[in-house]
Amino acid sequence: MSVRKREWPVALALLPVFLIILGPFFWLLMSSLKTEAEIGQANPFALPAQLMWQNYADAWQIGGFGELITNSLMNLAGVVALTLITCAPAGYALAKIRFPGREWMFYAIIFGLTIPVQAIVIPLYQVLFNLGLINSLVGITLAQVSNGIPFGIFLMRSFFIGVPDELVEAAKMDGANHFQILLKVMLPLSTPALQALVIISALSTWNDFFLPLIVLISPDVQTLPLGLVRFASTYASQFRLVFSGTVITFLPIILLYLITQRRFTEGLTQGALKG
Amino acid sequence: MTSLPTIAKDTDGPSARVSRRGTPGGAAGQDGLRSALPLMLPALAIYAVFTLAPIALTLWLSFTDSRGLNTSASFVGLDNYARAGFDPIVWQSLGHTFLWLLYHLALAVGMGLGLALAIGRLKKTHVFFRTAFFLPHLVSLAVVGVIWANIYDPFYGLLNTALEHVGLGRWTQGWLSDPLLVLFSVNVASSWQGFGLYMLLFIAGLQNIDHSLYEAADIDGATAFQKLIYVTLPGLSEVMTFVVSLALINGLKGFATVFVMTDGGPFYQSELITTYIYRLAFSAQDHGLAAVLCILLSALAITITIVFNRWRARLSR
Repeated sequence: MSVRKREWPVALALLPVFLIILGPFFWLLMSSLKTEAEIGQANPFALPAQLMWQNYADAWQIGGFGELITNSLMNLAGVVALTLITCAPAGYALAKIRFPGREWMFYAIIFGLTIPVQAIVIPLYQVLFNLGLINSLVGITLAQVSNGIPFGIFLMRSFFIGVPDELVEAAKMDGANHFQILLKVMLPLSTPALQALVIISALSTWNDFFLPLIVLISPDVQTLPLGLVRFASTYASQFRLVFSGTVITFLPIILLYLITQRRFTEGLTQGALKG
Repeated sequence: MTSLPTIAKDTDGPSARVSRRGTPGGAAGQDGLRSALPLMLPALAIYAVFTLAPIALTLWLSFTDSRGLNTSASFVGLDNYARAGFDPIVWQSLGHTFLWLLYHLALAVGMGLGLALAIGRLKKTHVFFRTAFFLPHLVSLAVVGVIWANIYDPFYGLLNTALEHVGLGRWTQGWLSDPLLVLFSVNVASSWQGFGLYMLLFIAGLQNIDHSLYEAADIDGATAFQKLIYVTLPGLSEVMTFVVSLALINGLKGFATVFVMTDGGPFYQSELITTYIYRLAFSAQDHGLAAVLCILLSALAITITIVFNRWRARLSR
């Protein structure tokens, strides 16, 4: 591997793999631009005679995708903001302040890291119900933030532990309190960790299905994946709508990824490995 | 995202030992608590209400006959655990879950490793392939379910129609209606979505392997295969344990693809613990039995985490 003279044979061998793995995307894009009759001919290699952009307009309108995307974006913004606001200070406290019960508190948080959300869903539903948060974007956001808190705190704590104590001490000498130290000393240094946390919590929120399925009942509050599943089962017999609706669902995030590819990859990998 | 913490020891550094008061490391006791608590409080409040309380309540529910929100529940001891033991679908869903984990390891981790090894050899096209192969991971598993349900459609789906057109018509299948095939078919969809992250982690692991090891192997006249066995794979062992544990936990949480594509069918042949929990809790309203399965699911997740933490600790020693 140190000698990289086999670039092109390897790249050539990867080409068929590339076609197979991305095949579903090509097929969906192509089929989404066909008429219902063309799809009925069941030839995946045939190109559409005419590009039916109308499919997208129809799916967008019938499926209410504008509303779904708005809901998903509000959900995402809420989760990312709350995750940062809760996890950064808690991670700092666990990393840099000595207090009685610190170990104990840390283990309580780590414990949650191992419990799958499906395993607590019945009481979680009851809690949300009692708080009047069923069928509400606020409810889903709080549940998702809580689900992500163990990972977020763990990530921030590991990062802050790596920051030299001397920096904290110096700020303390200057009369700064912990809140100011966090805000003025630690956060400016923690771009990599914050970036990882934002990417990971944004991606998992945007793609979450299980919690929205339980919490978001009426169509007008649903998020994108849930809305698409409902749309696809309602219009299952109209492939052109299902296909174009599906493309509408995954296209934004793929474009965003392609634009921010390097940072995205870095944040995701570093976040996963650190945590 | 789930990860497996290697729990770091107290790292306050020397300052903590030198002075007890006034320094950040040393603000012990009530002082420390007073400054730590406000910083911890927002996270703790949310976490206690929406995670810790539900964990405790799940345990409690497993000993009751609760059947829905507005019904009174009474203590029934170990009844639900006994019922779970005699419920054939519990055993089936447990067996399917194990099979599901195996498929996911073989397909997603296998493909992630294979592609990482190939991409690791590339320079000019490295970013291109890495980026392209990661694309499926960006799609929500529920949307993956919609996509693959259509790919597997017996008459119009990509798979059967493509097979017909390349002259392999005899290979066409009812991918989701064949009881023996269905779990594997659905897992292919999940693994298609899952492998990209494992691939990225393996690529990161490859980049951390000391290059001089390869040079030394070259001097010793090692073949490419020998280098793979004696340098690359041992160098990946830490990332490997991490990826395998991540894949097992992700596999345990598998729900959306099954729910969307088959809803556990046909004849419960793709029922997983998670989908059975959902059915019991939200259709059958049998909270007691569902809670027992929740405990089982948590126990499996905790066991995996502990086993792999030990393994990792041993490796890094």
